[in-house]
Amino acid sequence: MSVGERLQGAPTDSPKRMQRLFGIETEYGIAVEGKGAGDLIQESIQLVRSYSGSFVTGWNYRGEDARRDMRGFTVERLSTNPDDAQFDAPGRPPMSMSEERSDRVLANGARFYNDHGHPEYSTPECSQLRDLVAHDRAGERIVLECARRRSAAIGVPISIYKNNTDFHGASYGTHEGYLMSREVPCDILIAGMLPFLVTRQIYAGAGKVGVEVDRLDTPVYQLSQRADFFSVEASVDTLHNRPIVNTRDEPHATPRLYRRLHVIVGDANMSEWATAVKVGTTSLAIGLLESGWTPPVRLKNPVGAIKEISRDQTLRWLVTREEGGTISALEIQRLYLAEAQRRFQGATPDADWTLSEWEMVLDALERDILLAADRVDWIAKRQLLEQFMGAEGLDWTDPVMQSLDLAYHDLDPELGLYQGLEQEGVMRRLVTDRRIEGAMTCPPQDTRAFLRGLFVSRHGSAVRSIGWNGVAFTHEGEDLLFDMNPLVEPNVQLLNEEMSATSSLAEVVQVIKKPAAQE
Amino acid sequence: MHIRVEERTTRPTSPVPDRKEGDGGGPNKPNVKRPDTSDLLKRMKRVDPNAARRYRQRSGE
Repeated sequence: MSVGERLQGAPTDSPKRMQRLFGIETEYGIAVEGKGAGDLIQESIQLVRSYSGSFVTGWNYRGEDARRDMRGFTVERLSTNPDDAQFDAPGRPPMSMSEERSDRVLANGARFYNDHGHPEYSTPECSQLRDLVAHDRAGERIVLECARRRSAAIGVPISIYKNNTDFHGASYGTHEGYLMSREVPCDILIAGMLPFLVTRQIYAGAGKVGVEVDRLDTPVYQLSQRADFFSVEASVDTLHNRPIVNTRDEPHATPRLYRRLHVIVGDANMSEWATAVKVGTTSLAIGLLESGWTPPVRLKNPVGAIKEISRDQTLRWLVTREEGGTISALEIQRLYLAEAQRRFQGATPDADWTLSEWEMVLDALERDILLAADRVDWIAKRQLLEQFMGAEGLDWTDPVMQSLDLAYHDLDPELGLYQGLEQEGVMRRLVTDRRIEGAMTCPPQDTRAFLRGLFVSRHGSAVRSIGWNGVAFTHEGEDLLFDMNPLVEPNVQLLNEEMSATSSLAEVVQVIKKPAAQE
Repeated sequence: MHIRVEERTTRPTSPVPDRKEGDGGGPNKPNVKRPDTSDLLKRMKRVDPNAARRYRQRSGE
């Protein structure tokens, strides 16, 4: 029996098994003085190519097809935003995909590339929340370092924003990936995640001044950067007609055993706490569905509800249930929390930490939102901007307020408002700067990202292409593919330990080919 | 040649070691005091009021 087969039944057989792989992909906003949106593909490419650490090029797309829907079909094409056509100069020579993407696979196991005119940093697979936070923040520093190098080369200032909107109707994503059991049927997954994903913005939202897409009569400060941009409940699209539940079927693992829930509805969080709790609670919500639980609530209009909650200036966050009547976002979150406490208390240190923080933040939001200003982005930003409005006699409609919103997400330590809050010591930290610096070059030790990083740092010249689930390389004239699809369970650490003791590619191949020990 | 390691990883594994408790053993207690924003207010005053108006991006995912 393979490791995958043994673990296939684990979610239902062993409800306390809560360790899973997860990661975050962030598309950064980029502003280059003197350049417009039509230049951003080139600017993003050049920024990515400014990376000066160890890397290999050549992404391995094995098993990837963004058009494949987990509901059992493949769409002919994905929706694109027609507004982007205005930025495509006619007659510009087309680039190959590899040239345009300019993939860099880093020694820490991350992927760094140009995606639709945004530098995108995908963290390596992590299994612990603090590792993920460290790698997410390592991505910030890597992108900022590249921007500075590029800026010095061309003599023009470059700003990098970890946000999700340009305030003119263009949004770009911060996606989360969660490995989960394939046994959860698609319809259960969609129905079970919708109420959770619609409402988690009350603690995971990054805040936004104003409304895009729709026109409102009153000025608003929203909880979420992204809520304006969702128009369907579930689909495979990500660029346009975005769904609350993305049904892309790319498990990056053995397909008959696993799904990867690709969450595209979230905001880019500056707060370390928000990143950790967003991922921790979502992982628990997935665990609930894996364990056979389904939430006792369905929303009448999830697409409307995600916007209503985000824009609700009363902070009551009431939405309509499918069967009639209203329920608040807090009550919905408490339904998930109560069941997760019952099923997962004591499962892992991360589960315990998440359950505790989840309960505390819901309590704080119920009593006084300012109690959570040291960890929830939308509250920290709102508090800061309201102080400015008070001092300057402004309101939310003043154009400077959106500029201040943008400045909250500026990664520059001298200019960014979140950076300023952190320097003042008022935002909760979960990892040290030293750990973040380590994550810029070192992969997590307990996931298959360690093996990817090992190939990059020690055997890069032999690598032909590398991806989430495999490494294609050449050894002694033979083309080999190291299949990493099965290596998604905690026992990969044994392989990591063996691999770390190798000193040559020949020894690596020897370890990979070694037959299994008998049980 | 396609190398699979699926079979060799089926051997019994030792228990997963206890996790590290992050840096310094767990999260800090909440700090709910209002920030001293005097420096931050100066920083905010330096923000170009037209920065958001000029800021245009392509749609991403």
